[in-house]
Amino acid sequence: MIAGRLSAVSGVQAISLSIAPRRGAVSLVEIAVLASCIIAAAVVSNRYAVDIMIRTFLWAGLALAWNIAGGYAGLISFGHAAFFGIGAYTSTILLLNFGVPPWFGMFAGALIAACAGALLTRVCARLRGPFFILSTLAAGEVVRIAALNWRSLTGGPEGLEIPPVPNVVDMVFKSQWPYVAIIVAYMLAMFALSAWIEQTRYGYYLFATRDNEDGASAIGINPSHTRTAAMALSAATTAIGGTLFAQYFLYLDPTHVISPDISFQFALICAVGGLGTASGPVFGALIIVPLSELLRGLLSQSTSGLHLVIYGIIVIVVILYFPSGVSGAIGRTVSRFFPAGGFAARVQTEKYDAQA
Amino acid sequence: MSTILQLLVSGIMLGGIYAVMSIGLTLIFGVLKIVNFAHGEFLMLAMYAAWAVVSATGMTTYTAMAVVTPLLFCFGLLVYLLIVRPGIEKPHLVVVFATMGLSIAMQNLALVAMTADLRDVAPLFGGTPIKFGPLYFRVELLLGFLISIAITLALMMFVKRTYIGKAIRATVQDRDAAMLMGINVPRLFLLTFAGGSALVGIAGCIMLPLYSTFPTVGLNFVLIAYVVVVLGGMGSMEGAFLGGICIGIVQSLSGYYVAPAYGQMFYFLIFLLVMIFRPNGLLGQRGAAMVGINE
Repeated sequence: MIAGRLSAVSGVQAISLSIAPRRGAVSLVEIAVLASCIIAAAVVSNRYAVDIMIRTFLWAGLALAWNIAGGYAGLISFGHAAFFGIGAYTSTILLLNFGVPPWFGMFAGALIAACAGALLTRVCARLRGPFFILSTLAAGEVVRIAALNWRSLTGGPEGLEIPPVPNVVDMVFKSQWPYVAIIVAYMLAMFALSAWIEQTRYGYYLFATRDNEDGASAIGINPSHTRTAAMALSAATTAIGGTLFAQYFLYLDPTHVISPDISFQFALICAVGGLGTASGPVFGALIIVPLSELLRGLLSQSTSGLHLVIYGIIVIVVILYFPSGVSGAIGRTVSRFFPAGGFAARVQTEKYDAQA
Repeated sequence: MSTILQLLVSGIMLGGIYAVMSIGLTLIFGVLKIVNFAHGEFLMLAMYAAWAVVSATGMTTYTAMAVVTPLLFCFGLLVYLLIVRPGIEKPHLVVVFATMGLSIAMQNLALVAMTADLRDVAPLFGGTPIKFGPLYFRVELLLGFLISIAITLALMMFVKRTYIGKAIRATVQDRDAAMLMGINVPRLFLLTFAGGSALVGIAGCIMLPLYSTFPTVGLNFVLIAYVVVVLGGMGSMEGAFLGGICIGIVQSLSGYYVAPAYGQMFYFLIFLLVMIFRPNGLLGQRGAAMVGINE
């Protein structure tokens, strides 16, 4: 961490995001193995297990969406709950008031969220570090308070309810399995999108802008466009996740959907799993969501909130001692045992960590 | 006319209290260049500590300050050693996420230990307001405001006159140069973080009689503290005081003339406008927001 030390001492934050390895530390194959384990467990188990699985994959997809802005572009947003809420509310309002199926409504939400994300990035274009973070937090709060008080549109604090009448067109199902299919598809699409971004020229633009903005603009990259596009994409995909959330839980209210806690959760899943990689958010969600759900189930009789105490402590320990996240740590361990297994990405990560 | 005057004066007093609540945050930001995302939970801890002292001994919250402030100083010391120091040499996101984890843990620990019930203390003099000409004041608000002025002035004198204050100013300006001049910067970090936490202890004591405390009380106030600190310019103590007064007035006026619920929206919008047009705040250093830190 020589470079990190230097940056702290000299105050130069150009490499402030160097905890993010550039490439995926763990391959798609391993993710697929883990995912199929959980699916197998769910097949033999009960409704509760399937519910945890759905939440896990939904959060994995949402964390991947956050990671496009937070990990790849270095735009740490604590206001993503606003995009999540925009997605959930847009499709639900379209469904309840105009009968538009959420299958289309989610794209309307995505479009609005993308515009909001682009606007936010544009107006905060000059802000860095904590200033940007706090601005996104404030923007999220503005949306929350608006949703809370615009009763005619959002139903205010009482929220909106989607009638629980199973109907394929309305994306409401009686069984859990169609939800599993939709949400797994969402997560896999997000994973593919992330992996694709890492490979493309645009991805390299993003990494360059994140790691050294002056250098990036010197070689002809427009940092502002690059960032804005990343935030818009991240906001749009988060909004789609919001629609899926609304369709699964069939109930929305501003306090639970647009709260800063939701935004923090997106960020913390990525931080625990490994920021700026496609596998990190998936790992983060696979660890955090089932863990906190199980702890909640185990501890709820005695005391509410204890599971979140443990969750907070895990976050602190992971972020302090494994700053490249669990996926980074796993990647290093695997490459120690299989040094020449053709795991180019892992070796690269290790080399990168050694430099950082 | 007297309504506007009353609202303005109440707003200014409320602003003084917001200033005390924010001054620790801005001090820590100025010196360490980190935002403590558990600041609200520090405040929650201070309010619970004050409540515990008051209900155990029966003294007022203002005398309880003598216990709560050192307690928060020690708590700040502990948090610095366990969480901030291991992370401060790493990229700045590490401290952001670590303090956020701390915030979640503390909030829920309070929920487990104290339940979600509201805890409050009995008002002074049975809650009768003081009458001053055509104006009425709550005793607690007036006392809080006076203490906040005293604290701000004392802190400004401290920073101007003492050696440690000089070291703090030097480190705010240029950390490397300060280190080269023989200032023990790591020690100063420790002291600043603990001192900033002690200020939160004072804030908790003057806020407990005005608001009741509950596990998530910090979130409401920390968002105000961020607005105040950014408005005043991160790292500037005078700025925090000015920012606090501005937000207090905005809240007081908008709470009366517009719905209180939209009052919150007002100061977030002010926050965003400040960020867009004057990102260094009213009294902050130039260019600070562009690099994310005051270089």
